Amino acid sequence: MNIITNFRAFFALLFAAFLFTWIALVVFPWLELGHLPPIQEEGSTDITPWDSSGAAHQGEPVYAANGCAYCHTQQVRPAGSGADIIRGWGTAKDEDGKDVTRRTYPRDYIWQGQVFLGNSRDGADLSNVAQRFPDAAGLYRYLYDPYVLNPHSSMPAYRFLFVTRKIAGQPSRDALVLPDADAPPAGYEIVPTAQAKSLVAYLLSLKKGYHLKPDEAGIPYVPPATKS
Amino acid sequence: MPTLFPTTVAPRGFVSTDPELAAVDASVRWPVMVCFLTAVHWMVVGTFLLVYASSLTHPQDAFPIFGWFVDLSNNFSMFTYGRVWPAAVDALVYGWAGTAGLGLAAWLLARMSREPIRKPAALMTAVVFWNLGVATGLTGIFLGDSTGVELLEFPVYASWALWLAYALFALWAVATYLARRPGYDHIAQAWVLAALFAFPWLYGAGSILLGSHPLPGSGVIQEVIGAWYVHGIYTLWLAPLGLGLLYYLIPKISGISIRFGSKAKVAFWTWIVFAPWTAVHDLVGGPFPAETVATGLILSGLIFIPVALIGMNLVPTAFAAEEKQGHHGGIVVPFLVLAAVLFVVAGLSEQILSIRSANQLLRFTLFRECNCFLWVYGFFSFVVFGSIYYIVPRLLDFGWRSALLVRIHYYTSLYGILLVIAMLGFGGVMQGNTLENPDAQVTIATATGVALSFHIAATMCISLIAIGNGLFALHLGWMLIDWLRLRVRGNRLAAEVLLEPYEGDAPNRASKEVAA
Repeated sequence: MNIITNFRAFFALLFAAFLFTWIALVVFPWLELGHLPPIQEEGSTDITPWDSSGAAHQGEPVYAANGCAYCHTQQVRPAGSGADIIRGWGTAKDEDGKDVTRRTYPRDYIWQGQVFLGNSRDGADLSNVAQRFPDAAGLYRYLYDPYVLNPHSSMPAYRFLFVTRKIAGQPSRDALVLPDADAPPAGYEIVPTAQAKSLVAYLLSLKKGYHLKPDEAGIPYVPPATKS
Repeated sequence: MPTLFPTTVAPRGFVSTDPELAAVDASVRWPVMVCFLTAVHWMVVGTFLLVYASSLTHPQDAFPIFGWFVDLSNNFSMFTYGRVWPAAVDALVYGWAGTAGLGLAAWLLARMSREPIRKPAALMTAVVFWNLGVATGLTGIFLGDSTGVELLEFPVYASWALWLAYALFALWAVATYLARRPGYDHIAQAWVLAALFAFPWLYGAGSILLGSHPLPGSGVIQEVIGAWYVHGIYTLWLAPLGLGLLYYLIPKISGISIRFGSKAKVAFWTWIVFAPWTAVHDLVGGPFPAETVATGLILSGLIFIPVALIGMNLVPTAFAAEEKQGHHGGIVVPFLVLAAVLFVVAGLSEQILSIRSANQLLRFTLFRECNCFLWVYGFFSFVVFGSIYYIVPRLLDFGWRSALLVRIHYYTSLYGILLVIAMLGFGGVMQGNTLENPDAQVTIATATGVALSFHIAATMCISLIAIGNGLFALHLGWMLIDWLRLRVRGNRLAAEVLLEPYEGDAPNRASKEVAA
């Protein structure tokens, strides 16, 4: 029982088999989606998707290093496949305050240095987390102690992203407002570290309240249902 | 079950009855032993980390002992779930499975070449650098340098060492293969060579394109490469290595040739072509080209062909081998039987995920973790356990110390892995049912609540596995200490308790198929 009758032929065949998968699974999608440009509407200065700030980009390595992506996804599947839209993960307000509800497209991710689509939903999808947590203070509080907001949360607390320090002069603008159980001793305050600030800036950049034009990436564009 | 693992005194030594094979075994003794010892060390580290990580998934319902873990993880970045979990999985995949895989591949190719190995220093260098790479990588994850890419978390300063070590090993192994004595070729070599070829490609491309030099503006392509990598590791690296060992060991031990052996070639090539397409299981519904996903689901659905063929080859042969051993089912074959069965189960779970509606339900649930456990902790670990029980006595000419310990290890691993798979599989379905519930009132908190009880159950099952694995490590240590006592101090007491593991090289009983 032997299948290597000729080592070179075996090796060539093995190489061809691997190459087939590599080209079809990696090279081909890259050629198709690897260079998507942003969209600028005619006669408008708006560019979609919205670019994120430098501070937000600095949050990506913090998100990576602390493994947020092991429990949180950042992708919204279309209404026909999965209940993501029903869970409300695809909804964000646009600049006029109107709800935009849609799936995510490849073009949504072009500004991100590292993409975290995720494979597990032990926690909520974060594609539009900035819609649900619009300000930094709320996110800081949640990261410091998730169980205040949700007593049954399975999210770990990230206290190591904060420091407790003595108040010298004016209290910090960023100091956390916490319930009594978590509050620091009198004369002390709890403030976010630089890492926490980058992470929160990154989370606040996660909001997709814009429409995307028909996508040449093979995914048909479905205009949002107009509410009349 | 009084006679499953009988203790008898071996009538003679433990080296192979075939003098040529005995000489080969002697030539690879230390490199392979170093692989096994470091691998077992990583297994203990990884299993402990896994218990730790799993206990963090239910912080509100921690067991008394584990509450301390939760406090640690809340206050120290090193111990947060997002670092402990990838460290645990990487320690198991690269430290345990990877290092043991080096030893197994080296031993197998050396044996099948029928010549004592050349350049053992190159082999040893590869093994040492591989271990250094794993240690550095794990340290990097704990210190916060993790890349956050699944199974590629090791920072760049560790991954190049890992890659170079494996490339050196693969070169050594191919040279060993090419220097073989002709006439003994066997399908096991093809499986092992495929794995040796796959890893440098996978790991090189993965860590360059997702770590050190990401493609500019690649966006979601990163996730496509990530999926290709993760599933490549399971199906093109671990699975071929494990299958190579099974195709070699089962006939070798029992003298029974592989059933339906003529199908083995088709099984090999269909596996190599279809199995990596399981990558699209992680892309369904996401922002990817629809046609790639659709094609991929069809191709990955065809995985049932190789799984059925390999199952036909291995499962009946393994059961026949166990039956033939009779009372002397021995300490090796039961592990190999389980490995063969778990391979088919893992294939079935991939098959389930290739069905679009099932994938939608299970895509983001515990089921995916179940899949990972099936490949790494289920199938591959059982191959390694069986192989280590078989190989180490032949390398050291020394027997295992206690039938009871082997028995406890076998049953804790067996029930541990079956329960954890059942819990995560069933838990995945339940969690998916909640996540995909069309009722808008259902929230993520409901789904997390459903998953919670299964997380708790998983922690208990993993703890059970940890007990068995820990005893296995102690047993290996005990064996080594007694071996040293005998060799260094001539302590004859050490030689007295010798567990019968003589599962023959069967040169006389063997048909041509198993003659290698």
